[in-house]
Amino acid sequence: MSKELTHAARGPQDIAKLTPEQAKKVVTFGAVAAVVGLAVAGAAFAADKQRFAFSYLVGFMFVTTIGLGALMFVLIQHVVRAGWSVGPRRQMEWITGILPWTVALFVPVAMTAHTLYEEWMGPNGHTDKAIAKKLGYLNPSFFFTRAAVFFAAWALLSWWFSKTSAAQDDAKKPGEITLKMSAVSAPSIFVVGVTLTFAAFDWLMSLDPKWYSTIFGVYIFAGGFWSSLALLALVTLYLQGKGFFAKVSTVEHRHDIGKLLFGFTVFWAYIAFSQFFLIWYANIPEETIFFKHRWIDSWQTVSMTLLFGHFVIPFLWLLPRTIKRHKLGLGIAAAWCLVMHYVDMYWLVMPNLDHHGAHFTWIDLGGLLGPVGVATLAIALRASKGNLFPVGDPRLPEAIRLQNL
Amino acid sequence: MSAAPVPVTSDVDDPSIRAPLVLGRQNFATVSDSVSTIVERKAPKTWFLLLGLALSILAILGGSLVDLVWKGVGRWGNNHPVGWAWDITGFVFWIGIGHAGTLISAILFLFRQKWRTSINRAAEAMTIFAVMAAGIYPAFHVGRVWLLYWVFPFPNQMSVWPNFKSPLLWDVFAVSTYATVSILFWFVGLVPDLATLRDRATTRTRQIVFGIFALGWRGSHRHWLNYERAYMILAGLSTPLVLSVHTIVSFDFAVSVMPGWHTTIFPPYFVAGAVFSGFAMVLTLMIIVRKAFGLEHLLTKRHLENMCKIILATGSMVGYAYAMEFFIAWYSGNDYERYAFVNRAFGPYKWAYWTMVSCNVICPQLFWFKKIRTSIPAIFVISIFVNIGMWFERFVIIVTSLHRDFIPSSWGYFRPTLIDISTFFGTFGLFLTMFLLFLKFLPSIAISEVKGVMPAADPHHHDDRHEAHEGLTGGTGNEDHHESDPEAVHA
Repeated sequence: MSKELTHAARGPQDIAKLTPEQAKKVVTFGAVAAVVGLAVAGAAFAADKQRFAFSYLVGFMFVTTIGLGALMFVLIQHVVRAGWSVGPRRQMEWITGILPWTVALFVPVAMTAHTLYEEWMGPNGHTDKAIAKKLGYLNPSFFFTRAAVFFAAWALLSWWFSKTSAAQDDAKKPGEITLKMSAVSAPSIFVVGVTLTFAAFDWLMSLDPKWYSTIFGVYIFAGGFWSSLALLALVTLYLQGKGFFAKVSTVEHRHDIGKLLFGFTVFWAYIAFSQFFLIWYANIPEETIFFKHRWIDSWQTVSMTLLFGHFVIPFLWLLPRTIKRHKLGLGIAAAWCLVMHYVDMYWLVMPNLDHHGAHFTWIDLGGLLGPVGVATLAIALRASKGNLFPVGDPRLPEAIRLQNL
Repeated sequence: MSAAPVPVTSDVDDPSIRAPLVLGRQNFATVSDSVSTIVERKAPKTWFLLLGLALSILAILGGSLVDLVWKGVGRWGNNHPVGWAWDITGFVFWIGIGHAGTLISAILFLFRQKWRTSINRAAEAMTIFAVMAAGIYPAFHVGRVWLLYWVFPFPNQMSVWPNFKSPLLWDVFAVSTYATVSILFWFVGLVPDLATLRDRATTRTRQIVFGIFALGWRGSHRHWLNYERAYMILAGLSTPLVLSVHTIVSFDFAVSVMPGWHTTIFPPYFVAGAVFSGFAMVLTLMIIVRKAFGLEHLLTKRHLENMCKIILATGSMVGYAYAMEFFIAWYSGNDYERYAFVNRAFGPYKWAYWTMVSCNVICPQLFWFKKIRTSIPAIFVISIFVNIGMWFERFVIIVTSLHRDFIPSSWGYFRPTLIDISTFFGTFGLFLTMFLLFLKFLPSIAISEVKGVMPAADPHHHDDRHEAHEGLTGGTGNEDHHESDPEAVHA
């Protein structure tokens, strides 16, 4: 490989592996996060089972969509033969480490499903004419079968792409592995696109089984992809701050991640606006009810927070080149975006419980911290093993040469 | 890297190297030559033949429009219950075609897709001509075309204003902005190439005409710096614009309360469909152009293959949208929604629906196979199928949703009139005439941009042979006055 490096890439290489102590520290951090998260979640569950069911669904969707966004990122990099993202792709592979755990994270959702999806799982489903018509799709056995298919598909893809990428690190013919991942990624995008859509329908849209929107899957994808980029930015900044990655992930890569974060800020807004605007304009009661619920009392504030916090502020903040390249500037944006993704999930789920206005309680925090803790552990376990960047990727020299002129 | 032989085919699958975008032993001079000579040489006979054909079709458009204006819009088959048919179908069809140009020139630029350089010029030209063709429909649908300026809001003594709540007015804004920015973008990109043609000019007229439009371009560092900045800004502005145009076109339908029209996925679905149809049209045209003018070394099979992949991706997005519409129509439990879709697929227009599905969803899936996406005849045929399918998509959305109103007494079956057909057919005459003139009188491939993606333009390129600079005094820009010197090329 060294033969192929140009002068920009010569000189000492980046540290590719954590020391055993560092790796241990990472895993410990993840484990502590998981324990603390699960403890708070457990306390919240004990305190208020009904509220916890909804709060937990918010947290579950928060981490699951981030994992799916990361998986989409990895797949897209392979399918378009991206050169710049070779380094960051490894960090995204870590983030997809959430996905094999989602099946375990789903257990509380499954246990509380009758609370969450009372409207169609309960007796009301058979008596309400409008809901009864869709029981062919919305019924518990089909619901859980679908969930099993989703988890299997995601775990398989997350595992295969990370394993294959890791195997490339010391493969004799790394080029062939790149081609193999590229070939598998194209159909995988289909699988993720379809499963993500129906997961969004099943777990979020069916909370209000009478409401429907064809764009809903795209909406969830947009938010998930956006927040996975935000998490990638944070992980990248952390590692760069610790002195890793003098070459494979520099200010140039940060800039590119910032550009994508900016782009998907607009994309999310575009999808969210399309959904809102068409429903508002046509003003059909069975559709407007969704926004009506989110316009009651303090939900108004949350809705406006989404408009400004999920779009206007990050849009303006991420517009200048300087901010995207600035460590603190990008870091603030990334952390902000993750908070906003949580607000988005909260805004989708909680109005189904809090009909008279939003009121955030510590139970909601428990619902968030449980899944986030487990996700942190999942990412930490991946990060602690193997190389920090795909050392054997044939496009690594190209990634190192990246410059935003 | 210096030792590695420069590959000469585009069938490179080694991920450690990027496939060359220009094939053969090319240097900057030969690239200038192969594009400029199309403009400089006398046009081949086929070109005149094709222009004659295109002009005849254009005459059909003229005749149809005269008839339409003379006798009234009733000459089109629009009537209760289908009050909107081939006119808006044609409008959306052409606007959609235009989207590939902007996607290639702006979005692929922002994503640093260097292969765009060989196709962006022609695709952008196509965009402009497609928007012109699209404009015919709203312009003439107003009936009194000389009062078309009423579509713009302006203070007037009658206090008559267009309806600001109508997506049709937003269309006026969106399409006119889009057309303006597309033309600017296209022209900015043309400036360095026009200077090349000016510097190579052998006749006084050509020198003056190209000289005027080259805006005094000298290829200095300051010129390039300004050029690159302008290009980047225009790319950044065009990106949201290209999404906005078809989004607003989709609003024409989706803001209504019509089953089959009102659905939230319409905006991204229309944009994906527009890019899909636009790339198909680029393929249809460029497969002919590269052959006819011998540009296979600049517009390689690899370029075609990449476009096929975009068609596969956007075609699948369109398929996803169809599936979502169907699923949610069922899931909604709304009888009217459900009926609209059952009627679409199994009603009197089922032939149109299944033509659409075959052409748009099934046909592009063939591009999964490398054999098919590298076979030029196959690409050509599929690209035409996609063009047909995308026309049918608009027809299906528009006509099948309208033809059976809520009350069965308001059911009907739309049949196009002769003028419907001749107007639509005629717009191809306008499009082709413009495109043929463009091919003959302007550089159909962005010369300076293609040079920028050749290995010799890379500052890391250490080729001792300095192939690209043979006979040149150096530089990577517009030393075209050297290149016009035949001796310089072989020095």
